[in-house]
Amino acid sequence: MTQPQGTVQLPPQLSTIAPEVDAMYYAIYWISVASFVVIVGAMLYFSYKYRRRPGHEAKPAGHATVLEITWTVAPIFLLAWLFHAGFVTYMHGVVAPDNARDVRVRGMQWNWEFEHEGGVIDELNVLKVPVGHPVRLIMSSSDVLHSVFIPAFRVKRDVVPGMYTTLWFEATHLTEERTCERDADCPEAHFCGRADANGVRTCALPLFCAEYCGAPQGIQDSAGRNTNHSTMLAEVRVVSQEAYDRFLEEGPPAPAHCDAAEDPAACWGEGLFSQNGCNACHSVDGSRAPGPTWQGLWGSTRQFADGSSGVADENYIRESILQPQAKIVTGYSGVNMPPYRFSDRQIDAIIAYMRTLSE
Amino acid sequence: MASDAHAHHGPEYLAHHFETPAQQFDAAKLGMWAFLAQEILFFSGLFIAYGIFRTWYPEAFSVGSHLLDWKMGGINTVVLLVSSFTAVMAVQKAQLGDRKGTSFFLLLTIGFAFGFMIVKYFEYTHKIHVGILPGKYWGCPGFDCGSAPPEAFFQEVEAAINAAYHTAGPNLVPYHIRTFYGIYFVMTGLHGIHVLVGIGIILWVWRRNQRGEFSKDFNTPVDLVALYWHLVDLIWIYLFPLLYLID
Amino acid sequence: MTVEAGTAIPSSSSHAEEPNYLTHETGLKSWLFTLDHKRIGLMYLVSVLLMFFLGGVMALLVRTELLFAGETLMEADTYNKIFTLHGAIMVFLFIIPAIPGAIGNFFLPIMLGAKDVAFPRLNLLSFYIYCAGTVLALVAIVVGSVDTGWTFYTPYSTRADSSVIWMTGAAFVLGFSSILTGVNFISTVHKMRAPGLHWKRLPLFIWGIYATSIVQVLATPVLAITLFLLIMEKTLSVGVFDPALGGDPVLFQHFFWFYSHPAVYIMILPGMAIVNELIATFSHRKIFGYMFVAMSSLGLGLVGFLVWAHHMFTSGMSEYATMVFSALTFLVAIPSGVKIFNWVATLYEGSISFLSPMLYGLSFLVLFTIGGVTGLFLATLATDIHLHDTYFVVAHFHYVMVGGTVFGFVGGLHYWWPKMTGKMYDEKLAKVSWFLVFVGFNVTFLSQFVMGSQGMPRRYYDYLDQFQPLHMASSGGAYILGLGFIIMSFMFVKSLRSGAKAPRNPWASAGYEWMTTTPPHPHNFEETPVMTRGPYDYHLCTEEELWDGFDEDFQPSKKAKA
Repeated sequence: MTQPQGTVQLPPQLSTIAPEVDAMYYAIYWISVASFVVIVGAMLYFSYKYRRRPGHEAKPAGHATVLEITWTVAPIFLLAWLFHAGFVTYMHGVVAPDNARDVRVRGMQWNWEFEHEGGVIDELNVLKVPVGHPVRLIMSSSDVLHSVFIPAFRVKRDVVPGMYTTLWFEATHLTEERTCERDADCPEAHFCGRADANGVRTCALPLFCAEYCGAPQGIQDSAGRNTNHSTMLAEVRVVSQEAYDRFLEEGPPAPAHCDAAEDPAACWGEGLFSQNGCNACHSVDGSRAPGPTWQGLWGSTRQFADGSSGVADENYIRESILQPQAKIVTGYSGVNMPPYRFSDRQIDAIIAYMRTLSE
Repeated sequence: MASDAHAHHGPEYLAHHFETPAQQFDAAKLGMWAFLAQEILFFSGLFIAYGIFRTWYPEAFSVGSHLLDWKMGGINTVVLLVSSFTAVMAVQKAQLGDRKGTSFFLLLTIGFAFGFMIVKYFEYTHKIHVGILPGKYWGCPGFDCGSAPPEAFFQEVEAAINAAYHTAGPNLVPYHIRTFYGIYFVMTGLHGIHVLVGIGIILWVWRRNQRGEFSKDFNTPVDLVALYWHLVDLIWIYLFPLLYLID
Repeated sequence: MTVEAGTAIPSSSSHAEEPNYLTHETGLKSWLFTLDHKRIGLMYLVSVLLMFFLGGVMALLVRTELLFAGETLMEADTYNKIFTLHGAIMVFLFIIPAIPGAIGNFFLPIMLGAKDVAFPRLNLLSFYIYCAGTVLALVAIVVGSVDTGWTFYTPYSTRADSSVIWMTGAAFVLGFSSILTGVNFISTVHKMRAPGLHWKRLPLFIWGIYATSIVQVLATPVLAITLFLLIMEKTLSVGVFDPALGGDPVLFQHFFWFYSHPAVYIMILPGMAIVNELIATFSHRKIFGYMFVAMSSLGLGLVGFLVWAHHMFTSGMSEYATMVFSALTFLVAIPSGVKIFNWVATLYEGSISFLSPMLYGLSFLVLFTIGGVTGLFLATLATDIHLHDTYFVVAHFHYVMVGGTVFGFVGGLHYWWPKMTGKMYDEKLAKVSWFLVFVGFNVTFLSQFVMGSQGMPRRYYDYLDQFQPLHMASSGGAYILGLGFIIMSFMFVKSLRSGAKAPRNPWASAGYEWMTTTPPHPHNFEETPVMTRGPYDYHLCTEEELWDGFDEDFQPSKKAKA
């Protein structure tokens, strides 16, 4: 599928609503050009024809009521049409089809988090969507106002703390999986995404934050990144429906840099361990922390607060991640670990990592 | 119609840039009405906020209004209504050229205004003392969120809830009662500032009257200050039922 | 204009000994405590020009930072403060007070044939309240600088540091200056008109300022209460706007735009008001459809109150509200169109001279037309969703605010400069600076239209590579624009130092303000005038009234007359 081209004024049309919006845009554009030519043309012509010069004198102005009423009333019809056409197109963009797939979007200073059906949370600042199928974003903010803006789809909606807002679109073209070094390497209206752990960057569509949300004092945030309103930028990747379904089933794939690792699954698990903040409560070196240490946990016999006991096997680990309160290890009763929604493959990876800590 | 701008051209109270006393009076009156129009729009924002939050959180507004003492509010309403009457009397006396009468009624108006502020003072200090305060200061006696509210706080709140819900027993305090008190303090606080400003201006007009600046022919300032005072009264006439009476 | 028998129009040659408002009293105190609307107008002029300079420096800093993607001059945090200050200074300290405060104060009473505004003391008070507001804004800059954008959107502003309190406090105080000026002008227009000056003879400048005053009085208090609530939210946490306490951030936007949309008309109506005078004078013709133009000012003021939520189509408000506000927004196009059409029709069969004030007047027509038609894209819901909060919006409102108001203001400054200062300026330099300003402005903002429709969001410190060429073009245009203003300042300073003495009526205008001496008498007219003709009745003017100011250097067109 070839990427469509944009015009001087508008980026390429990559959603079903885009051609409708652009038709409105160009209708107004040509009305504007015509009005401008008539008004400024008349102004220049009169200015030249009636320039002050010897033998020429101004005639006293009269008034022409018919003319006045004509140019007061005539535009009303044009404006009424503009309003109506604009409203109809707008409503197409507001009412999502019944079969739309929901993606929950959480805006926070200065990142986007996307949660897909089944609780699959993708990498931060990456939005995968299926091609040729409507997608509805259900959006909320945990701090200040943000706004989701995807120029190639012609959609925008504010993300407001204290309420949900929604928008929908249907992407019409796959995003090329092209590696890049700068924006110029990518197709029109794409940009070169953030580097993964191997330093590889791929092209994606930009999802901007369009509502001003500030910058940290001083240039870098706690993670040492240059981040602010203008870098609250997510990568939109349009994938095939099959790839999207596989993604929902399997969760996000293992990061590319783990392919080369000695134990790819454990490498992925270690990444998940730190990315999801498990390390805040679980140590890997046996030291005391709010939660039990992971060192030597795998395969050991656990004593539970209700007096029973059991072996830490696959089923136990899986249950402890998805339903942390089901079995509480003696001595950790006061700790309320929240449930984590990982895909099966992610849990496998975590277990693989855990096994390395018991060797 | 042409007149010499340099020479004095009329009675002493006529400013140099006016042609006639009537023109001066009309200009001042129109200016005052324009000013009052902006005052109304100034308060309108608050009335709209009140309406919106009342629609969203009716239970909080019901409990909030039961927590206010309608008797205190009622006394203040009567006080302000009477003060509007005395203000009108001051205008009439001024128009008749009765300087003493004008001064008397101006002072009486100021007296009522002080009466209003005294009642308001007792209401405010009690609320602040027990911790009936807006937003994050709800339940913080004297804006000090480190100390627990006194027993009176819980008793008053429970009584208000039972009165609002027609129940007898412990109930949950509606969370948004703090929004009600946010709006209560902003509305009555701004109104109170208007009363204080009114006291200041009436005092100034009283002093000018004492100096003999006004007469049958010229009493515009008395007229205008009375107009302002009526507006202050009028705003309270809306605040009282909205905050104290409707549950 | 004629005055009653026995008096004559002052002639240029004989007014040398006439007292004028600049010299009849001297000393600092005679300025600081003056009740003369002309002196207050001049003090406003100096203040707003200073603020314009300050805001302009901020604009150049913003454009320089955006020359290249990534960091060019400053950190993101600093950049956010700079663009906030640019917006806040230009809106609250420059554009809103500029035309009513400076030019309106100076000329409104003169054009009414009055000795002063209705309430001279209140007028001085307005000026000092403006100064107090300016000081508060400077305090805000010193104690930490605001980085919320000039719109102070919650909850960002309720979470930001205390400098927001100072800046919103400044806007609150400045609002009262604006309200009191409005009250003063309404009374003045209603009650201080000279004999014979009935409503149908009112100069269109007065009609425009009058409509502005009404909007100032009715809209500004809503901003005041909004900012007051914001301050209360930050100090007492009253919970009206903060979602964490049950408030509604979208409510703040409604409140804010209920003022700030009408404020757009507080800014543009005075610009249009000036353009009326420029086009009439330099076409030697009454404005075509006078009553329609006058009423369109009031119409714009009225419609301006009904369209505030068109700033919020993507904010999450209901679809019904969106529909209603889109429909109402289109109404704005009608009175705006009426004005444009009538101005063009005025040129027809006129006698048009291209002196520098008229160049600004004609530029206004071009630029305001662009500003107006691009408004159609934003009123139409389908296209607004794509364009909202992008550079397209930035370009659109700069075409209206700069292309409209600032061009009107600068045109008016050229036009009335001789009357205000008694000095002529270098017309050649004026034309050069006009050319640079016109070209620079268009380069700066035409490129922003394209950037915006391509999807460049506003208030961005950094941007994608694809926007690099357009950002560079825009910054380049800004430098040309800046150069134009520098040359203009030089020209005005040169005029003050060594400008030729201005005649009574250098532009051969029939306007009332040109009938008094230059600079005007302390009481505007030595004797209260009686208006026997309209301010645009060129066919009723005598040779002496119109051409008495003839000076070959400044009015070459006299030859045409002769």
